[in-house]
Amino acid sequence: MWKRDDAVKPAGAADGPRTETLRTSGSDTVSTGISGTPGTIGKSVVIKGELSASEDLTIEGQVEGKVELKNNTLTIGANGKIKASVFAKAVVVQGEVTGNIHASEKIDIRDAGSVDGDLASPRVAIADGAHFRGSIDMQRTGSVKPAEAPKPAAASAPAAASTPMAAASAGSPVTAPKN
Amino acid sequence: MLKWGSRRAESPQAAPAPAAPVETVVASKVFPKFLSAVAQQPSPTLLDLGPVVGSNVTFFGDRLACKMHVEDLFADVESFNKRGDRAGLLAFLATRLSQAPDSIDGVLCWDLFDFLDKPSGLVLASKLARMVRRGGALYGTFGTTPVELKNYTRTVVAAEDSLKPRPYPATPVPRTVLLTRDIIKMFDGLIVAESMLLKSSTRETLFRRP
Repeated sequence: MWKRDDAVKPAGAADGPRTETLRTSGSDTVSTGISGTPGTIGKSVVIKGELSASEDLTIEGQVEGKVELKNNTLTIGANGKIKASVFAKAVVVQGEVTGNIHASEKIDIRDAGSVDGDLASPRVAIADGAHFRGSIDMQRTGSVKPAEAPKPAAASAPAAASTPMAAASAGSPVTAPKN
Repeated sequence: MLKWGSRRAESPQAAPAPAAPVETVVASKVFPKFLSAVAQQPSPTLLDLGPVVGSNVTFFGDRLACKMHVEDLFADVESFNKRGDRAGLLAFLATRLSQAPDSIDGVLCWDLFDFLDKPSGLVLASKLARMVRRGGALYGTFGTTPVELKNYTRTVVAAEDSLKPRPYPATPVPRTVLLTRDIIKMFDGLIVAESMLLKSSTRETLFRRP
């Protein structure tokens, strides 16, 4: 009896004092984490179109289109089904994703997770038992190369310096200016 | 009191340790050379023909910072073998991979060719050989004993020079044993850079595109 409020509250709703209902289907809700808790898209919610947010988000429902959380973490929960291009800082997949995922930090596909699409992120973790089909791009464009650029040796041997090993071998005889 | 204390001390040991399966670790002299060859390529692209292994993805990401295509051809082979359609596999393999010629720096075939009949193996090998970019490498193992294969192997890269084979069930098929000269001919355009016969009578081979 004393738990009656909990029973009425939809499964996906955040516990904080202020939640904002965007659209409902059945008894479920879309809630945003205004109080600091991550926003949740509930099990029975279906969204078609573009979804963007500037806070962490958990999707337990279905989304088709595009999901963009550039500076936040997106979690596709065990019940979540996504047919979309996903852009986020970090993505955790426990449900199903059909589409490409771009994450600036990390993609983590958990053991019950399933992805059919291409992954692009500097760090990718795929648990045993997870389903994955596609390509994985872990090339660290923009993070490694600027650190190598200031070397004077690299500038004097531009063609050879494209790989670390080549740069090392090409660099030693060229540098060492005499005073 | 003393007894109670001693029981507490023993309790961590008494906790039943989960029986971890004993894993075989195979030392490889050829695989480090494959890694080294791929690492020398700028922004390398890897094609893995085995089932996805999370720790391998992490390993290749850390070591090579590469782009990786995972195409589980073992799953395809299994689906054809299960319905006894080995002839259909040949036509399927001719169109299965969509990677462009000269687009891949490293191909991991593992022991796939053991499970393919000669015509299917030939079709796939020539396709893979065309995909390998100049300076790129292809790694594969080839069994030398004609036995019935009852398991595929998910190969986990334990370290640069050691691999952990993890078997999982397969529809039994006779192994296709290829002569070394046939293997060389199959991968026309590539050269054998390294070949080692392991204790398991498996030949580990590294091909390079000159």
